[in-house]
Order: sequence, then C-alpha cells, then structure tokens
Amino acid sequence: MNKKVLVVDDDPDVRTFIVTVLEENDFIPIVAHDGVEGLQKVIEEKPDLVTLDVLMPRGSGIRLYRKLKTDLSLKNIPVIMLTGIALKSFMRSQKTLSEFQGEKVPAPDFYLEKPVEPEELVDAIEKSLN
Amino acid sequence: MTANKILIIDDEESIVKFLAMSLKVDGYETVTAYNGKEGIEVFKKEQPNIVLTDIKMPEMDGLQVLREIKMIDPETEIIIITGHGDIDSTITALQLGASDFINKPVKDEALAIALKRAEAKIFMRGQLNEYTGNLEDKIEEATQEIKRRSNFQKLLIRSSNDGIAATDKNWKFVICNPEAEKIFGCKYSEVVNKKNMNIESIYTKDMVKAFKNAAKDGQDENLEWKETSLISKDGKHTPIKFSGRILYQHDKMIGSVAFFQDLTDIKRLEKELVESEKMAAVGQTVSGLAHYIKNILIGLKGGSYVVDVGLSKNKTDKLIAGWSTIKKNIGRVSDLVQDLITYSKEREPEYQTCSPNGIVTEVIDLIEDFAKTNNIKIAKKLSPEIKEASMDPQTIHRALLNLVTNAMDACLDDANAEKDFKISIRTSLDSSNLLCIEVEDNGSGMNEDTQKKLFSSFFSTKGGKGTGLGLLLTKKLIEEHKGTISIETNLGKGTTFTIKLPYETAAIKSQKPAKEDLS
Repeated sequence: MNKKVLVVDDDPDVRTFIVTVLEENDFIPIVAHDGVEGLQKVIEEKPDLVTLDVLMPRGSGIRLYRKLKTDLSLKNIPVIMLTGIALKSFMRSQKTLSEFQGEKVPAPDFYLEKPVEPEELVDAIEKSLN
Repeated sequence: MTANKILIIDDEESIVKFLAMSLKVDGYETVTAYNGKEGIEVFKKEQPNIVLTDIKMPEMDGLQVLREIKMIDPETEIIIITGHGDIDSTITALQLGASDFINKPVKDEALAIALKRAEAKIFMRGQLNEYTGNLEDKIEEATQEIKRRSNFQKLLIRSSNDGIAATDKNWKFVICNPEAEKIFGCKYSEVVNKKNMNIESIYTKDMVKAFKNAAKDGQDENLEWKETSLISKDGKHTPIKFSGRILYQHDKMIGSVAFFQDLTDIKRLEKELVESEKMAAVGQTVSGLAHYIKNILIGLKGGSYVVDVGLSKNKTDKLIAGWSTIKKNIGRVSDLVQDLITYSKEREPEYQTCSPNGIVTEVIDLIEDFAKTNNIKIAKKLSPEIKEASMDPQTIHRALLNLVTNAMDACLDDANAEKDFKISIRTSLDSSNLLCIEVEDNGSGMNEDTQKKLFSSFFSTKGGKGTGLGLLLTKKLIEEHKGTISIETNLGKGTTFTIKLPYETAAIKSQKPAKEDLS
C-alpha cells in the first residue's frame, strides 16, 4: 500500500514542489500550512512520515518536532526536517528547550537543508520508512 | 646680650682714667685713647659699640672723630663730652649724628642716663636688624615659593597634552606651550610677544569671534568646547577642539587663555572605524543578499521541477502550479533589484500636489483582499483637516504599503490564533503641522533586540521571505522627504509605526517658487 506523507510548510511553492515529488514517487501527500495544523493532521491522518519546516508562523517546526517526539503514540513516526536553517542551530534550540523542559528529544532521522534535490528527498524518505 | 664695649677719647688723661674706671665698675668693657687720631685707630681695632669723646682736642677734635667714625660704622653710638661755651659745636655734633651729649665735669648720673639711652638704641637697632633680617629671609622664602610654584605651573603648562595659549588684554600672545606650537605650526618665538601677532593671525574667525564676544559680555566662565580646523601658515589643516576663557583681575579684563585639543588622531580613528563598519556592512549585505537569492533559486528550481512533471505527464494543474511558482519568484527577483536600486541611489522627492488621505485609501484598497482572506480587519480613520498638499505621492505610497504589509505579516506571524487581528491606519495633523500617518497592528509585536536591528540592512524576521530591505527603504524614503519614522511595540500585543512628514497645503505652496531652496 502507498505510504502517507505529511508535508508541513508555510511556503506554498515548497508545498507544491514536495507534493509533486511525492506524487511522482508513489507516495500519498497530505499538506499542512503551519505547526498547529501540522499537529492536527498528524493526529487525524496518522501519516507514515512527516517532512517538517523549521521557520513557520503559528507553532514553529521546533515546537512541533518536540511534540511529536515526546508523545508516546506519535514518537515512532519518522520526521525529516526540511529547512533553510542549519542543523546546528536547530539542535542548539532543541538543546536549550531540553534543558528548559527537562526532557530530551532524539535528533531527527534526516535533516535536509533547502534546496533539496528530489532524489535526495525520496532517498531519505525510503530510508526512514524501512 | 653681651656687655657693650666703650671707647673713651679725651686729651685729659685723668678724665679718661676716671671714666674708664667708673664704667668698668658698672660692668662695661672699656678701651681708651688720648687724642683723635689714636681714637680712630683704637676704634678700628676694637670696634666698640659706644664712643665717648671730648669735643675739644688738639689736632683732631671731637667733631672730626665723630665724622670719621660715622663713616666707618654709622651705627656706632657716639656721646659727646662738652665743656662751657661749646654750644655751637654740640649742635653741629648732634647734626652729624651724635646720639647724646654730657657736660663737663662728667657726672655719674648724667653719664649713666646717656649710656642707657645709647644702649637702648643699640638694643632697638639690634632688634630691628633681626626683624629686618627675618623679613628679608621671609621675603626670600616667599619669593622662592612663588618661583617654585610659577616654575611648577610653567612646567604644567609646558607639559600639558592640550595646547595652551594665553594673550594679554590686547589679544597679543604671552604664553604658548609646545603643544600649541605644534597645533599653530609656528615656534614660540614667532608667536609670543611679537608685535604683529595677535589672535587674528592664528585663530579661526569663529574662534576670534567667540573670544571677543565673551570679552564684550564679560563672560567669566569657560567657552563651550567647539570643533573647528586651524590652518597653519604653511597651509596645513589641523582639526581641533577648543575652549578657553577671558581672564579678569578686579573685574578688569587682563587677557585670555585658550585650550586646544588636536583631533587629528581621533579623526583618523573615526574614519577608520567608519571604513571598517562599512566593510562589515558590505559583508553583511553580501551574505544577506546571497541568502535571499538562494531562497528565490529554491523557488525557481522547485517550480521548474513541477513544470517538468506537468510537461512529461501532460498534467495541466502541475504546469499551472509550477509556472505560478516560477512567476512569483521572477517577481521577487525584480522587486529585489528594484529595492536595491532605490537603496543605492540618492533620490530627491518629486513634490506634486496630491491628497495624502487619497493615497492611504489607495493602499488600503490594494491590500484589502489579502487581509480579508487572512481574517485581518482593516480600519481607517482619516482626518478631514488634511487637504491636498505638496508631497511626493510615491514616497507616501511605498512607505505606507510597506508598513501595512509588515503589519499583516506581524498578524500572520502571531502564534496566538485566538486573536481577532486588526490593523488601524490613521492620519492626522500634529501641533507642529506635521502630517502623521500611523499604522497600528495587534500582531506579534517584537522584542528589544529585534527593535534595535529593525532599521539595519538585511535584517529580517521573516526567514527567507523577507529581503531585510523593506523598513530600511521606508526609512530612507521618509528621511529624503525630510520626515521621521518611529515605532512603539509590545511583544505579543502589537506594534505601531508613525510616519511624520512636513505638510504644506497646495495653496500655500503654489505661492512660492516651484523649486524650493532648502538651505
């Protein structure tokens, strides 16, 4: 059966692009425009994988990532970060939040910096799902 | 005090012996002589304080003795022994400086009184000498102290890092320290006490004016530090800071003093700092630009991928979606180029008669649809006081559009989804007749750090979606229009931007020549 992938990104151009890449590679894409909608869609649609942007209005990717990784029923969903922010900055902010909230989160399965090549993305998705 | 030594001179040996004996008994030391000549010899040898001399003596008489002794030591007390009928010579003796006289035959009491007087005189003179001596010492001491202090002050003035130059009341130089020589570009000897040298030969016109005005007004405090540039006689410009004051003694001007600081090094450092900041800004600009262009490229690449898919699979929806991404990003490139051109060019506002309220309405019309789809309410409150004015409509349009777009972004960026977002745009005239345009939003607001960086180039809170040029350009446009832009913001509550622009109604403006001279 084809796998469901949730694309969380506030940029319509990025969504169009990722959705097209996913369709071309036989995935079923679902989209969310921001962190809040992202969480809602994760719960409703139970995707097999999430691609997540970091800088978004209404609930950043940093927060959504924490929520996914600290929720028992959601933490096994693989997450691929797909962003213009360097991994270092992302992990630094996660570390700060970990210290603040007293709860550690693992590093994402894949961290892809934009611009991402379609093959690179598909490769990361397939590796994460196996 | 040691006993006084007395010289007795008389040609009558018995009198000499009698007097010597009786004085010795009284505790005096005595020396004797039997004629004037011998008297002088003994006087020279023994140096007595008091001389008793007969007035009538053969060869050298008492008056002669008196004269000679007074010549040798004018402080010697000389008592004349006189006989009957010597009144004239006695008077002469007194005129010549004899201190007393006693009559023959010499009586003990009379002698004792005369001697006491002489001794008292000697004592007094001794005291006086002591005092005078002390006084001289004191004066010497004081003189030394004054010298020491004046040397100290001279040294201070000489070694001061500031240039110091002083003039007399006729503005001629009396002091010029080495630092001042350096600043003036002339030697001490060419400046101080030179007939043709006064402050006008060296100070700038402004400095001369400052000093002369201070003197005229009787100003008794330091002149305010001011910056200027001195030009030495060989044409060298030295940037300086100067102060100084008029000097008074008993309310009368006695001169002036000026202090100089050479700003050459400071100016050089300032310039270097500006240069290095410029270089840093260039670096920032380049990296900011690279980041923004990278984002456009991502869009273009993604778009072309989607178009490729549409072409190969013959899917019109993909073609449309991809093409729209590409067009949008082409738009972003052309906006960026436009912004960069505006940013890099000096632009004079193009004044024309226009209605500020009309422009505000135009801008609101432009963004209303977008606001509606994002559930943002737009409210406007335009003052009817504002009529047509002479302004650059493009400046107002662009600045306002930018601020309103920012306000909408601030609403969209707000994590609090419960809010009813609202943007208010108000126009008014303030008390100093400036046109005020306020744009208020109840969006995310900003923290202090963001507020500080707000007007710096390529700073953006919008990730890859902002050029970081918007507010910078708005500020530039407003300032070129002789206006100001200010901000009030509250994190989580919202932000208000206020633009103030000079407002001249068209009617007033038309009476003036078309091109206004701003100087």
